Amino acid sequence: MCGIVGYIGDKKAQPILLNALGKLEYRGYDSCGIAIANKSIEVYKDVGRVKALAKILEPHNGKVGIGHTRWATHGEPSKINAHPHSDCAGKIAVVHNGTINNFSRLREMLAEEGHVLASETDTEVIPHLIEKYYDGDFEKAVEMAVGEIDGAYTMIAIMAGESRLIAARKDSPLIIGVGDRENLIASDVPALLDYTSRVIYLEDGDIAVVSASDVKVKQNGAVIDREVHEISWSMEDAQKGGYEHFMLKEIHEQPKVIRDTLTDYLSKAETAADLTGMGGGSLENIIILACGTSYHAGLVGKYIIEDLVNVPVRVEMADEFSLSGQSPAGNQAIVITQSGETLDVLKAIKRLKANGNRVIAVTNVVGSSVTRAADRTIYTRAGPEICVAATKTFVAQLIALYWLALPYARVNAARLDELVLELRQLPVKVQQVLDNEAEIAAYAKKLAAYDNVFYIGKGINYPIAMEGALKLKEISYIHAEGYAAGELKHGPFSLLGEKTPVVAVVTQDNTYEPIVTSIKEIKARHSPVIVLANEDDDVMPDLADSVITIPRVDPLFSPVVNITALQLLAYFVAKERGCPIDFPRNLAKTVTVE
Amino acid sequence: MKQAVILAAGEGQRLRPFTVNRPKTMISIADKPILQFVIESLALGGIRNIILVVGYRKEQVFDYMGSGEEFGVNITYVTQAQQLGTAHALSLVKDVVGDEFLVLPGDNLIEAHTIADFSGIAPDAVLVKRVSNPERYGVVDIDGDEVKGIVEKPKEAGSNLVNTGIYAFTKDVFKFTDNILDIPSVLNNMIAEGYSVKALETDGTWLDVIYPWDIISLNNAILQNIEVGLGGTIEDGVTLQGKVVVGEGTVVRAGSCIYGPAVIGSGCDIGPHACVMPSTSIGDNVVISSFTQIKNSVIGNDVNLGPGCFISDSIIDKGCVIKGRFTALGGPSEIRVNDESPSVSVGVIMGEDCQVESNVTVQPGAIVGNYCQIQIMKLLSGRLPDRSLVY
Repeated sequence: MCGIVGYIGDKKAQPILLNALGKLEYRGYDSCGIAIANKSIEVYKDVGRVKALAKILEPHNGKVGIGHTRWATHGEPSKINAHPHSDCAGKIAVVHNGTINNFSRLREMLAEEGHVLASETDTEVIPHLIEKYYDGDFEKAVEMAVGEIDGAYTMIAIMAGESRLIAARKDSPLIIGVGDRENLIASDVPALLDYTSRVIYLEDGDIAVVSASDVKVKQNGAVIDREVHEISWSMEDAQKGGYEHFMLKEIHEQPKVIRDTLTDYLSKAETAADLTGMGGGSLENIIILACGTSYHAGLVGKYIIEDLVNVPVRVEMADEFSLSGQSPAGNQAIVITQSGETLDVLKAIKRLKANGNRVIAVTNVVGSSVTRAADRTIYTRAGPEICVAATKTFVAQLIALYWLALPYARVNAARLDELVLELRQLPVKVQQVLDNEAEIAAYAKKLAAYDNVFYIGKGINYPIAMEGALKLKEISYIHAEGYAAGELKHGPFSLLGEKTPVVAVVTQDNTYEPIVTSIKEIKARHSPVIVLANEDDDVMPDLADSVITIPRVDPLFSPVVNITALQLLAYFVAKERGCPIDFPRNLAKTVTVE
Repeated sequence: MKQAVILAAGEGQRLRPFTVNRPKTMISIADKPILQFVIESLALGGIRNIILVVGYRKEQVFDYMGSGEEFGVNITYVTQAQQLGTAHALSLVKDVVGDEFLVLPGDNLIEAHTIADFSGIAPDAVLVKRVSNPERYGVVDIDGDEVKGIVEKPKEAGSNLVNTGIYAFTKDVFKFTDNILDIPSVLNNMIAEGYSVKALETDGTWLDVIYPWDIISLNNAILQNIEVGLGGTIEDGVTLQGKVVVGEGTVVRAGSCIYGPAVIGSGCDIGPHACVMPSTSIGDNVVISSFTQIKNSVIGNDVNLGPGCFISDSIIDKGCVIKGRFTALGGPSEIRVNDESPSVSVGVIMGEDCQVESNVTVQPGAIVGNYCQIQIMKLLSGRLPDRSLVY
């Protein structure tokens, strides 16, 4: 999915295009670009987000322009592949959302006629086709070019010396914003709302010719009337698909994210063993580096690999690693970063590579910096994540780590089959946690009244206690600490009491008895206890003040279902406290500074 | 008319166990929720501005439909907190709807050309269909093309024209929706006040799912018209016959047979030597092991079927894990829901996330609730409530 915008009017196009593109970043943000037309056309584009592009742009006075923000699912995002694309003479620029089926044939034909195509993208054939058909009539040239294309071709074109935008819609949405002495075009309404609330929805096959004062829509060559709609403010939330916040939407995407990520991994001929480059060899000397939520995924990864493969794993925070005096060599390093742009991680990779370590990156953004820095990349298939607090990308990272470890698992074939079966069942189990949302929301109401909360877990769910606490801190501004259950008595006990509730993650494995003991000790200090426990656990209801029931899964996979419940808990606490959930104070999605 | 209001808030109690966690509109037929058929039909007719009234388990609708972009439409959601009837649901869209609009039920399968016939008509109007069993529906009394009234489920039907629940209205309808629960009563009141309401008869497909076993016959009906599409990996030695759809990332292993019409979702692992026989829909991420045969059935997402299972005329909901040698073959059944029993042959009707050990046999028509656990060698019959343990 990509986002496209166009502007024509009496104001400078550049700041308007950048602002509008920012509103479309939910459609993708791995590369972006704008083109502005005057007597000539200036194109600015690069890999990365709109804000980064804004920083490097020189101010431009042109009042006609187009922009594009991209989310590559296949192929590399790169400066050359980023939109807008131009023709040979650099007089025409096009942004496009969709896939052109007959692009190889068109490309061949254009090349034979002497056109030079610079990128690998299908889009680039469009400006060259327009150039081919241009005989003084821009509008006719676009119509003829569109006639050649088989596939989805929603696009906007501009031309040097022309004071109009020409747009075409096929399969992907395109909306015209009707302003006062200015008009805009965009993939979705939110991009337009800062400028106008009057919009025209284009239909498949429409070609629109838009100037600062006029909008003309043609279908099959005939000019037709398209109704102007007035947008009520609530439409702004369309991209949240019914939910009040991106965070809840993204938590709800988790079953699908797990299914998509698994389908992607399991259907590939390439196994994780091929990826690590060690073939049938062993997995050893492993270092995992990451920051924030990804660091917690790394900690779970340590338990996964140590449990399945029985080799020690070091997990370090990327920034701490960079500062330490050590220079380990000959390791298999796994770096985890959602954005692929986290500076501390990129710096750590440099040091690792300099010392001859192999680096595998786990990231959600195709073609991000980390994919160029690492030896190999495993992509998580979570799609763009807008909420600053990571949820679905964390779950996808866990799936990547399971998949990475499974080929090396020192278990018999029957156990391996069982593990793969359990992995395939995770979407249903996570969905059951979501279906139980109302119960979690009820407990969250109570929790919202406190100022300090402890989260405890043991074994593979110790990092989940830390991640649950981090979610609560991030979005509800409640002070929360994630602890290994057994560590509580070495200090934090002094903080327990009626005003400090404890959230305990209980797993049906060898950690069960010790955590029961811990909960009893906590109860003796009068702290209210909320427990995450299996539905068939008949001990917890008597022991704890509240029990959030969790569907039973193999303990190895319990982090995935448990974190879903803790994400929901944090979400509903923050909602109860009226916090700005998607964009908490002082936080940014991607940390590209030290 | 470019705007449609779809009523998708209802639970569909008679469709339990499938509606414990999803609204009736999200029941899947041929790998698509019913609501998707309605939305796609509207989009084909150029109606892209859609207001969805959601309520019961609305998150399931949000998660699947999103902003509507994937289906080529714009969706605005309106929540009906309590399901107080169709007229109440309609009254909630008053502030977001345009001057003229269509109203449709989200839980009936409606073909594109049925909607195309109707979308040109001037409000107020109701779409009617001729059926053989009008007593089950709202019977429409007409004079020419003028509606005189609607009688809900009459003992003796005056005609066999019934209300499809598809209407064309102007904003005037909101003068009649206060304190009225159902749209047919609204129509009767409008007529009493002198409004002219036209009836348009359709011969297009309009299918209602009322009881769980209706899913089996609807699935069969819909599959007859699917478009072939093969994704994924089809190994050598696989036999494909008839109309077959296989999703991306699915592997169909050697020796397997797929006889269409059949739909298999993405990310599945089928075979080796598995048989998918006609009129079968299989969801995403499903594993079907060797020597298992499935016929005229609907299998949900994330289901795992062990080796040597025989399944026909059945519905198995998402996430069930069924070990080997499971037998659920269709036959005449005594099962009753609200005093109705199936007119078609039924194997098993199984809710989500059941764990079934090996060698379990099901008597025709058994209804197994959600999250049941069945030990080995058991014989199932009748109706098992949710979370039953069969030891």
